Amino acid sequence: MINRRHFLTTVAVGTASAAALAACGNGASTSAGETGSAENPVTINYTWWGNDDRAERTRKAIALFEGKNPDIKVNGNFTDFAGYWQKRATEAAGGGLPDVMQWDLSYLRDYGQRNQLLDLGTVDINTDAFDKSLLPSGQIKGKTYGIPTSTNAFAVYYDPAKLASLGIAEPDGTWTYKEFNEFLTEVGTKSNGEIFGSTDYTGVWWMFNIWLRQNNIEAFTEDGKLGFTKDDMKKWWNQTAALRGTPAIISEERVTQLAPKSPFGSNVTATEVTWDNFMAGYLADSGAKELKLAPVPSDDPDNLGLFLKPSMLMVASAKTKYKDAAARFIDFMVNDPEVGQIFKTSRGVPASKTQRDGTTFEGTDKLVVDYEKSIEQYLKDAPEPPIVGFGTLEASFKRVSSDLNYGKLTIDGAADAWFKEAEDLIKQNA
Amino acid sequence: MTQSPTLSRRSAQSGSQLPRKSRQRGADARAGYTFLLPWLLGFIALTVGPMISSLYLSFTNYNLFEPPKWIGLDNYTTLFQDERFLQSVGVTVSYVVFGTPLKLAAALAVAMLLNSKRRGQGFYRSAFYAPSLIGASVSIAIVWKAMFGDAGPVDQGLSFFGINLGGWVGNPAMTMPMFILLTVWQFGAPMVIFLAGLKQIPNELYEAASMDGAGPVRKFFNITWPMLSPVIFFNLLMETIHAFQIFASAYIISNGEGGPAGSTLFYTLYLYLRGFSDFRMGYASAMAWLLVIVVGIITLIFFRTSKSWVHYSGDAK
Repeated sequence: MINRRHFLTTVAVGTASAAALAACGNGASTSAGETGSAENPVTINYTWWGNDDRAERTRKAIALFEGKNPDIKVNGNFTDFAGYWQKRATEAAGGGLPDVMQWDLSYLRDYGQRNQLLDLGTVDINTDAFDKSLLPSGQIKGKTYGIPTSTNAFAVYYDPAKLASLGIAEPDGTWTYKEFNEFLTEVGTKSNGEIFGSTDYTGVWWMFNIWLRQNNIEAFTEDGKLGFTKDDMKKWWNQTAALRGTPAIISEERVTQLAPKSPFGSNVTATEVTWDNFMAGYLADSGAKELKLAPVPSDDPDNLGLFLKPSMLMVASAKTKYKDAAARFIDFMVNDPEVGQIFKTSRGVPASKTQRDGTTFEGTDKLVVDYEKSIEQYLKDAPEPPIVGFGTLEASFKRVSSDLNYGKLTIDGAADAWFKEAEDLIKQNA
Repeated sequence: MTQSPTLSRRSAQSGSQLPRKSRQRGADARAGYTFLLPWLLGFIALTVGPMISSLYLSFTNYNLFEPPKWIGLDNYTTLFQDERFLQSVGVTVSYVVFGTPLKLAAALAVAMLLNSKRRGQGFYRSAFYAPSLIGASVSIAIVWKAMFGDAGPVDQGLSFFGINLGGWVGNPAMTMPMFILLTVWQFGAPMVIFLAGLKQIPNELYEAASMDGAGPVRKFFNITWPMLSPVIFFNLLMETIHAFQIFASAYIISNGEGGPAGSTLFYTLYLYLRGFSDFRMGYASAMAWLLVIVVGIITLIFFRTSKSWVHYSGDAK
C-alpha cells in the first residue's frame, strides 16, 4: 500500500520547476570572407518568411543563381511571419543567424543597431538602379544594413463585382474620411449587414502613420521618441467611434473567428485598407474575378501621406563567414531581371529599375504596378527605419485597438495603455 | 544483482558506529554516485545551470543581443505595475482553480466506473486514456479551435438545442470554458493513477461495510475517500503544477497572441511573448522565477494542509 516516505520522495522528484532560460556566448567573427570554387563550392544559408507560393518562386530563383554561380550553393529555409522573428531572436542570442535573410523594416533597428547585421556598404552590391529616396530606409547612422527588394504602398482594396451587386458606385479615386465612412456605412446598410464595410481601419498602425503624415506629423523623432501626442491618438481612434458595432465595421469577434484568413479574403468585408502587394493572396483567398485599388482617404486632397515602403529587404549576418558569396546572392536577388520575372509583384514592385524593366507585368501584377504609378505625384520619402522595439509597439497598437473594438477599453483608456507601454519600451531601450 | 542483498543487510545495521563499516558505506556511496553520474550530469548541465543563469538574468535587462546589465529588482517591481502581467495572472489562476478540480472529478468518476469487473474493461481503459496521450499535442489544439469556431460542430450542436452562443474562439467570455473543457477531456493520466489506487483498497472493507448496511455514498466517503487520499493528494498536486504551465494549446488557439481581448493570455504565454517577441529576456526570467516561487509556496501549503485529510497506511493515527 501507499507508504509516506516512498510517496514523498516521488513527489519531491516530480515537483516540476518552471521554465528556465539559458544564455549562450557569442562566437568570434573573421574579417576576410571565405570563397569557394566550382569543384569545392561554399554553402550559404538563406531564410525567408512566406507561403508555399513564395517558397516555390524562391527555389526557382536559387536554382538560377546556383546555375550562374557554380562556386556557391544556397541552402534555403522558410517559415511564416510570426514564427520567423522568434526563430531569428534565438539564433541571434546563440550567434548563429543564417548568412543571408529576408528582412522587414520593423526589425531593422533591433538587429542593425545591435551589430547583428553586416554593413552592406563594405561589400560589393550594385545599387545604381535604385531610387535614391528609397535606400535610406535600409540605412542606420550611415551604415547600410538592408537592400530593398521591392516596394509597396498603402491602398484601399475593393471588389467591383461585390459593389455592383449592392448597387454601390465604385470609388472615384479621392475621398475624405467622412466620405469613406459614409461609403462603409452604405455597404453595411445595403447588404443588410451581410457584408461589412471594412475592418476597423483605425486599428492598422500604418494607416495611423499615414494619417499623421497627412497632418504633417512624423510618428517617430530622429532621436527615437514619439512624434505624436495622446490627443492625436484619441482623435484617430475617434474617426470610427460611431461606426464600431454597426455593419459598417466588422467586429473583432468575427475577425478572430476567421483568423488566420482575413475578413476581406473570406468575402465578409467589401473593402480592406492594407499594402498593395497582398493582391495575389487576396485574389486566391476570395476567389474574386477582379480586385481594384483606390488611394487611402485624406482630408487634404494634396497630401495623401502616402509613401513607398520597402516591402522587404535583404540583409546578411554580421557573423557570416562568406561575405562575398552573401553579397553576390543579395545583388542577384535584388537586381537580376530574371528574378523579377519569377517573383513578379508577389514581393512587391521590384525596387531596382534593372529588375523592374526586365519584368513583364500582366493582369493583377499590372494593377499593382499601375497603382504605384498613379500615386507617384503624392509620394513622400520612405520612412526611416522605425525605432528599436517597433515590432512590439505595432503589435500592441493592434491589440489595444482590438480591445477598443471589443468594448473592453475606452478610447482614453486605450491611448493611456498604449502610451504607457510605448514609454516603458523607449525607456528600456534608451 | 549481488549488490542488493548486501546493501539491504548493511542498511539494517545502520545504527552501528564502527569506522570499518562507515568506510564501506563510503565506498557504496561512491558506487552509487558513479551509477547516478549520467543523470546528475544532465541534471546539472541542462536544468540547474540554466536555472541559475536565468536567476541571474532576472536581475538584468538582458535583451538577447547585448551583454546583460544588472538592474537589481527592477524587473520584479515593474511586474506588479504591468497590467498585462496582472491579466495573465488572473487568467491562469481561474484556469487552475476551475480546471484542475473538474479534471480530477472526471478522472475519479471514470476510474471508479472502470474499477468494477465487467467485460471489455481493458478496451475502455485504453479508450479513456487515449485523449491524454494526444491531448497536449498541436494537432488537438487545431482541432479544438475548429470545433469551437463559428459554425463549428459545437456551435451547430448547441444551436440545434436552441442555444445560440456563436463561435467560442472569438468570444472573450467563452474562451476559458473552452480551455477548461480541453483540460478536463485529458483526464487519462490522473485516471490511471486513481485506478491503481482503487485496486489497492482491500475488498474486505467494502464487504464489512455492506454487512453493516452502508450504501454506496457512505462507502465512498468513509472508505474510498480516506483510503485513496494519498493518491488524490498526489494527483491534485501534480495537476495543479501542471495547470500553471499551460502553454501549447493557448499558443495555438490564440495564434500566439493571447486574444481575444487578452482572455487567453496565460502566464507562460505572456512570459514567452515578453522573452521572444519583445526581446525582454530579463523580464521573462523574472516572470519564470516568480512562477517557480509561487508554485513552490502552493506546494508547501498543500503539504501543510494535507496532514488533516490525507491518511497514510502505517501511520499511528
